[in-house]
Amino acid sequence: MAFRDRLLATIRAARPVLEEPGVLVVGSEVPNLLEPGAASTLVVSLDLDIGVPVARHAAVKQRLPDLAVGFRPSPEESSVWTPRSPDLLEVNFVGMDPAQDPADAYVLEDDQLPLLVFGALSLVAPGAEIELAGTRVRVPRPAGLLLEKLVTDRTGEKGDRDLLVALGLLMTAGPADFDELDAAYRQLRPELRHAVRSNLTVLSLLEPRTGMPDPRPRRSTVAAVLRRLEGVEGVVP
Amino acid sequence: MNPSFDRRIRERRARALVRSWDYRQRRHARGVWFRLRRVLADASAAFAIPADEARTLIAEGHRAEPVGRELEPPKVIVFAPAERVAQIASARAVPLRLGRDLLEAESLALTRFETIP
Repeated sequence: MAFRDRLLATIRAARPVLEEPGVLVVGSEVPNLLEPGAASTLVVSLDLDIGVPVARHAAVKQRLPDLAVGFRPSPEESSVWTPRSPDLLEVNFVGMDPAQDPADAYVLEDDQLPLLVFGALSLVAPGAEIELAGTRVRVPRPAGLLLEKLVTDRTGEKGDRDLLVALGLLMTAGPADFDELDAAYRQLRPELRHAVRSNLTVLSLLEPRTGMPDPRPRRSTVAAVLRRLEGVEGVVP
Repeated sequence: MNPSFDRRIRERRARALVRSWDYRQRRHARGVWFRLRRVLADASAAFAIPADEARTLIAEGHRAEPVGRELEPPKVIVFAPAERVAQIASARAVPLRLGRDLLEAESLALTRFETIP
């Protein structure tokens, strides 16, 4: 079964949760879904990250019995629901708290659905609602998702691939997205702004990876974003 | 707390501590790698060139990037127009990444992007 079909089947099976107000698809699948026709050409891990606002945790929990048709909670990690069919992907619940420090993380303890609440996801805001597989899916606004990718410490192969996901977002960003990126970047404290710029320099020098956007022809775009962000805060490169 | 969550939070907080430590050193010796990456990010291509050619470029008014002197052994890193670099017969293109070819070069000529979007 093609990956795109599994992704769409997973979205269909996770509909009870995905259509809950406030819930977002986050993580590396977002650029896949934003490709024309949700083409899903990026090679990413076999899971779907579902962002749950901590304020909506109770409501999402009420929908879990409906999710149990296609998935079951992992005995090893309660925030992961594993598919009952090989035609589906894992579902991975993560917490979002807009009041959280972007560099921190905490656990929302719960017997049924504990959430690891990632601070960087506080930068993510609800964006477009798209219709996929008969399901209304809310994805993040590109600027916040891009900043979330760039502010997070990234190491190793997974880190490099995450930065190439950020490149994919840069390639589809429009002028309004860049204006929004500037504004959100300005709100970060200096250490995190430096982390964003540092990750952009890493992205600039990455080697191509199979199934990911080739960074080499996009290096001038990365350089332009670096200059733009340096201009926001008056940094001389 | 779930042991897996506990481990991930401890790892994340440890990384945050290291990141803060790195940030405080951004203007010190340890920050050289960011400064080097930042210079290379502005380059469309990199070429290993002989030391005498690098001296000639500087004599012509092309500025040596300070970060080159912050490495050991030091390097001469200089931006020059592509057409000028093309006149250096011994110039050898090296991949623009922190790999062996680039790091082993004693002198580097960099070209800038013709247009930045």
